[in-house]
Amino acid sequence: MSQSLDAYLVLAGILFAIGSFGFLARRNAISMLMSIELMINAVNLAIVAFGAFVPELNVDASVIALMVMAVAAAEATVGLAIVMAIYRNRRTPLVDEYDAMRQ
Amino acid sequence: MFEPLIPSAAPWLAAVEAEPIAATASQVLNLVPLLLLLPLSGFIFTALFGRRIGRFAFLVPLLLIVATWAIAMVVVYEALSGGFGEHGAGITLWTWIPAGAFQVQMGLYVDQLTACLLIVVTTIGMLVHLYSVGYMAHDPGRWRFFAYLNLFMFSMLLLVLGDSWLTVFAAWELVGLSSYLLIGFWYPKRSAALAAKKAFIVNRVGDVGFALGIMLIWVSTGTLNIRESFELIAKLDSTTIAAIALLVFCGAVGKSAQFPLHVWLPDAMEGPTPVSALIHAATMVNAGVYLVARANPIFALAPNVMVIVAAIGIFTAILAASIAFTQTDIKRVLAYSTVSQLGYMFAALGVGAFTAAIFHLMAHGFFKGLLFLGSGSVIHAVHEEQDMNNMGGLWRKIPITHWTMFVGALAIAGIPPLAGFFSKDEILAESFKFAFGWVWLIGLVVAVMTAFYMWRLMAKTFYGEPSAHARSIWDRIRESTWTMTVPLVLLAIPSALIGLFLGLPLGDSRITQWLEPVFAESEELLHPDKQPFQLAGIDGVLIILSVAAATLGLVVAIWLFGAFRRAGSRSRVESLTDANGATRFLYRATLNKWWFDDLNHLLFIVIGGRVADAMWWFDRTVVDGTVNGVGRLTVDAGRGLRRVQTGRVQNYALGIAIGLIVMAGAYLAIAAR
Repeated sequence: MSQSLDAYLVLAGILFAIGSFGFLARRNAISMLMSIELMINAVNLAIVAFGAFVPELNVDASVIALMVMAVAAAEATVGLAIVMAIYRNRRTPLVDEYDAMRQ
Repeated sequence: MFEPLIPSAAPWLAAVEAEPIAATASQVLNLVPLLLLLPLSGFIFTALFGRRIGRFAFLVPLLLIVATWAIAMVVVYEALSGGFGEHGAGITLWTWIPAGAFQVQMGLYVDQLTACLLIVVTTIGMLVHLYSVGYMAHDPGRWRFFAYLNLFMFSMLLLVLGDSWLTVFAAWELVGLSSYLLIGFWYPKRSAALAAKKAFIVNRVGDVGFALGIMLIWVSTGTLNIRESFELIAKLDSTTIAAIALLVFCGAVGKSAQFPLHVWLPDAMEGPTPVSALIHAATMVNAGVYLVARANPIFALAPNVMVIVAAIGIFTAILAASIAFTQTDIKRVLAYSTVSQLGYMFAALGVGAFTAAIFHLMAHGFFKGLLFLGSGSVIHAVHEEQDMNNMGGLWRKIPITHWTMFVGALAIAGIPPLAGFFSKDEILAESFKFAFGWVWLIGLVVAVMTAFYMWRLMAKTFYGEPSAHARSIWDRIRESTWTMTVPLVLLAIPSALIGLFLGLPLGDSRITQWLEPVFAESEELLHPDKQPFQLAGIDGVLIILSVAAATLGLVVAIWLFGAFRRAGSRSRVESLTDANGATRFLYRATLNKWWFDDLNHLLFIVIGGRVADAMWWFDRTVVDGTVNGVGRLTVDAGRGLRRVQTGRVQNYALGIAIGLIVMAGAYLAIAAR
């Protein structure tokens, strides 16, 4: 375990960047959901890191991290359900073919 | 016949006034709503089913109007014999407009003035209905005609019975509507459709004034009940009272065809003749006179407005009489004569002789109704020809029409003892005695003119040699059927006798006694030092003068136009009109109705049209341009910005990401400084 907060934050930043790139670049809906998870986890990592290094945030950070996990789980469930529904409808997981909102 | 039932309505009753009267009002008062209900149901029934009934569509409206007449006579008897109390009685049917402080009751009120109008409206209305059965016998649309007539009867009765300004105004517009529908009854005829529109629009001009007057009454008194408003108006300052009086008079000017809004009435003769008799001679055009008479407490407090009323009245009288000199359409002569006689009535109102005005209204209603119905009978006889130059010598062919019209013509000319003599003499005498010398003098001249043009009408129609047109159909000229001649005879009787009945004894006539409770206060206020009647004094002289005026007119007309077998002298007429430049100008002026129609054309069609065109241009380019510009800008902006919305999730996400980066970058840039 490194003794520097920066290392954790850099890792979180890299993870968030990978996640956002994945979200913007991948066309597959499932991959996009996975990218979202990656971003959430990057943020969570940053929160936990702050909690570990800043004494005043100790407890709060853990609570927030748990909260984020719960929300992420719920979000993943709903997201997957939506993707499944759209997939059944449109027979494709590719989001750039989902253009019903355009009209 | 009309002796008071309760001679002195017990002095102790006067102390308690209105309220107990309403409580003890006779059962007859409950009949009053029927006066409205019967014609209205007749209108609705005939409008809905008349077409299917066809030939006999006149039955229901006719019977309902006869019933209305009978009820009206009961009501009139009750009102004039004091059964409704000294100041009449009313019933409130329902609250018409309950809007906070603005409360308008739907109520009916009958007093002596209403009773006088009821006599004229229902009697002539009934006879005109009967007459129309014959007159309209061959018209395929006659169910429509009778439906409209019933609508008119309903409106006119509402007008005289209504007890709030708003009810009267609504009825005022309803009679205008009926008039419009009936003038334009033969709407495929372009001139009829135009005349209907003209009547409606010219009336609107006056109605704007009336509506403003009603608003002013509401604003300054807070009530629209006619009787209540009189008491409250009396407490206002004189400027407001004058404004109210003037605005109400505006409405009267329009409806009663007074100068400068007199132009619609002669054109209204495009309607069927029974309509001209009923609406445009005997009843509706009297509504303005009735309105001013009804509002006498207001006018009595505005003496300056009274002078205006008198001036407009007497000016209209002489103007219209001069135009009647040269018209050749029989109905137009009568129409201008109506305008002229209405001018008389307004002159009487203006000098403060309210009773005389109502007297003349009643008398005029009967004899002018008679003359119009007679002219309809003449027109029928000579195969729908209205030009008097194409008549002549008809008195032997259509004797009933001739003799009844003869009575009517002498009555309007003012020959004693016929109706017109009494009423006209009362107007002239009172204007002289009330120190309106100029009204009296012009009135006297108009009396000469009236006698003259009426005899001219009689002579050109009935006497002398038949014209070429009349000779060509001579053997086919027939007296009209009984449904047309019976009303003529029934109208000739009151035309001859109503003056004797209402106008005697001289000085304290029956109609004065009837209307005293309505007008006494105002007349007292205007002329506190009224002289008693002196037959051997000033009044006798005035009577002789007005009879002399009428006789002079008749004699000149007989000299020029002939009588019975004695033919008129065309050369004499021509030598008079062609005497010199001045007479030629006068002849052309009256023939062209003093160019009022042309003036209106110039003012409102030509100049008004230019202004309207300019307004239209402004509206089209500037107003519409702005509005359409804003609209087009929005549409174009929307169309452009639509491209941004691709519907792809990732484009939006990219937007969010870029936004985030920009925000974060900006934050860092600011924080770093």
